[in-house]
Amino acid sequence: MEALSIPELTVQKGEFLAVIGPSGSGKSTLINLIAGFFLPSQGTIYKEDTEIQGAGPDRVVVFQKHALFPWLTAFENVAYGLRRQNISAKELQEQVEHALAMVGLLPFAQAYPASLSGGMCQRVALARALILKPDILLLDEPLASLDTATRFRLQDEILQLWKTQNWTVILVTHQLDEAVYMADRIALLYSPPQGLAQILDVPVPRARDRNAIQLKQLTEQLANTLGSNSFRNAY
Amino acid sequence: MLNTSFLHKQQTQFLKTAGAALFGLGIWQLLACIVQWTRGIPFPTPFDCLLSLQGLLNGSLFLDFTIYEHTLASCLRWFIGFNIAFGAGVLYAFAAFCFSFFRALSMPTVEVLQLIPGLAWVPVVILLFGLGPTATLAIIVFTTFPVIAISTFMGFSNVDTDHVRVGRMCGYGFWGIFKSIYFPAALPHILSGTRIAMGTSWRVLVAAEMVVGSGQGLGFAIIQSRWTMDYASSFACIVIIALIGLALERFVFVPLEQHTIKRWKPADEN
Repeated sequence: MEALSIPELTVQKGEFLAVIGPSGSGKSTLINLIAGFFLPSQGTIYKEDTEIQGAGPDRVVVFQKHALFPWLTAFENVAYGLRRQNISAKELQEQVEHALAMVGLLPFAQAYPASLSGGMCQRVALARALILKPDILLLDEPLASLDTATRFRLQDEILQLWKTQNWTVILVTHQLDEAVYMADRIALLYSPPQGLAQILDVPVPRARDRNAIQLKQLTEQLANTLGSNSFRNAY
Repeated sequence: MLNTSFLHKQQTQFLKTAGAALFGLGIWQLLACIVQWTRGIPFPTPFDCLLSLQGLLNGSLFLDFTIYEHTLASCLRWFIGFNIAFGAGVLYAFAAFCFSFFRALSMPTVEVLQLIPGLAWVPVVILLFGLGPTATLAIIVFTTFPVIAISTFMGFSNVDTDHVRVGRMCGYGFWGIFKSIYFPAALPHILSGTRIAMGTSWRVLVAAEMVVGSGQGLGFAIIQSRWTMDYASSFACIVIIALIGLALERFVFVPLEQHTIKRWKPADEN
């Protein structure tokens, strides 16, 4: 059975695209396809002019359940991707410490994931992603299991990193306000067989105010659009 | 202040250990007294046992060999058998994990092997290898192999798919992912399997030495003392067996776990 159907979707370089939809609409499938974990049953995905045929460090995923290795310290988790590349121990340490400092976790470099909170683990996962200097950052509901305050703080940190790292970001989320606050455009996915239904612009200049009336209106409008469809039933 | 509390802690620990030892020895002593009284048989007491243990440790011969030779024979036999089974088990688990056809074909047999109690192999190994040390070794291998194989295989198959994906997106190939993800992820399973297998194989070894004539070894010594009526010495052998088991647990497994999987678990689970 088809898990996801997308006739056509183009993401601009440097863009921040949010993907929203009910569970089972294939949001994660989209991320896995772009990451190259598996290939589409029909059609092709291009990154610039090359067809995506497998996973690679140019497209990095931050997973919902952080997926840190419990047997490695925060430092080693971040260093993991670099160990594959031939760089000197000194440079590796510098880069890892820099990445950990960017997410504010340098003091916890020697801690194991088990002793870190959910938000801290997600920050380590973010550091592990940014050290690979990807072109595309794929966020698969990375903030879904965090409390509201931590989620807001991490949203801002991700936006800050996005601004400085020249990433193209694709964020999967089921929080409408999160999508509206963070994204340039929002793609609506419905459960199969409908698939990709609509792409909405978020014409609000940055830096945005989380409580801006414009964003609230957009969130509400989005909820209504989705509510008129099968979207609401899925919740 | 810190020092006194540390001393205090050590003291309590010592008292606890001493109390536990006294409890166990007390039951033994009580049992010995009851048997001696009701049946009129010289059931060895802990003290008798200690005396004969001292004699044995001083090098007196017990069934043509010193106790050191018996112990060494058992340990060596166990060590070789266990290592063969461990190597074969891990290799099998790896092959079964990589090739699903091979797994479907062979896994049921391995699972059935696991259900066979160690001593049930006695007629089989006698037919295969005759009476002798090889037969004892074979029993250890047969009982240890399935435990290691199945637990290691479980470890490989319980690896988090997201972890493997992290390996793939970081650009690691098959071996890189195996070394950096599958192996450490399976380690807790491998360790617990090894722990079970070590206990099982040690027990089976002693029993196998009793049944399959091997001329040397702690199990052989225990069962032979039936003829010499030297029960105190055979009890001393039992004590040695227990002490070796305890040492394995305390000095091999506990440190091994503390250095690996204990650190990965959340603090409140420790």
